[in-house]
Amino acid sequence: MHEISIVRNVFETLQETYPDKFERITKVQIEAGLLSNIQPILIQNAFEALIMEEPQLADIELEVLLLPIIAHCAACDKDFEVNRHKFVCDCGTPSKNIVQGEELQISRIEFLEN
Amino acid sequence: MPKSNRMPVGSVQCDNTTLNLLKANDFVAKAIRDRLPDVVVINVCSSPGSGKTTLMQETGKRLSDKLNMAVLVGDPETDRDAIRMKEVGINALQIVTGGMCHIEAQMILQALDHIDLTGVDLLFIENVGNLVCPAAFDLGEDIRVTVLAATEGDDKPKKYPRMFLTSELMVVSKADLLPYVPFSVEAATQDAREVNPTIEVISISSLKGDGMDDWCNWLLAKVDEKKKAKLATA
Repeated sequence: MHEISIVRNVFETLQETYPDKFERITKVQIEAGLLSNIQPILIQNAFEALIMEEPQLADIELEVLLLPIIAHCAACDKDFEVNRHKFVCDCGTPSKNIVQGEELQISRIEFLEN
Repeated sequence: MPKSNRMPVGSVQCDNTTLNLLKANDFVAKAIRDRLPDVVVINVCSSPGSGKTTLMQETGKRLSDKLNMAVLVGDPETDRDAIRMKEVGINALQIVTGGMCHIEAQMILQALDHIDLTGVDLLFIENVGNLVCPAAFDLGEDIRVTVLAATEGDDKPKKYPRMFLTSELMVVSKADLLPYVPFSVEAATQDAREVNPTIEVISISSLKGDGMDDWCNWLLAKVDEKKKAKLATA
């Protein structure tokens, strides 16, 4: 739904963070937790659309990694993976203590060496 | 040529980061919280047509002698909802998102310059009708509430988990229709609590009045809580 604004945001963030190296970026990896409602294919489509507007981005590869949802169970003092959005540990204890799954971040950038 | 076949020329340097892509929104959300220390801000989310605006109208009528309420209402187009609220005396401002499927914090911050919140205790943000995208955007609210109409079906909490995960309260609206539609409040509550074990549930009918006292008392308690918390830190 709002993938276009996210993709724009990716390149604005990179331009701000790496003003000197931006032109040498070859690959960008994004990590999206399953709770971020991000669909990798829609991100790719939005990126293709952005390239039509900003052709200088055409040589950059964009990769989206989806991260599973991990919550912490206070009773067992261990992390468990949340499947089918059931925020309940195997031991039966419910938990809203989310360790992973809400992130939407740039995790890795590759640049061409000067 | 597919991008994966394109080999970079020369050696490659890597940088591992955690650059947050919702950073800008979260920054503005904090600015909104800082600007409204005395106001309880409630972000009301739901599908289109669940009865958010009718709920706002009826809430305004019932609470008019108990507190000072205002509403920012978002829609992709038209100012019809703000007009409906002003008709019943509610201090309301329309945010037209221009087709966008959700409200972002920046729109709220700008709207705050166009609405008089002097003496306001309770500010509702009536979000764009959509159970997906609004879930990802912090609007500087204290509390998020999701309205689920009895006519939508009781399977929505599992279908739109993030919305119910981030909500403190699920309001089952159009409860006067429960005898006529296949909607089980128990099933919806059970599913919502698998996603969010602490979510509270209130069934209401804005038109007939059922459950409106529970809803209004819940709101008054939240306003009271924030005032007490502020006194405690002062």
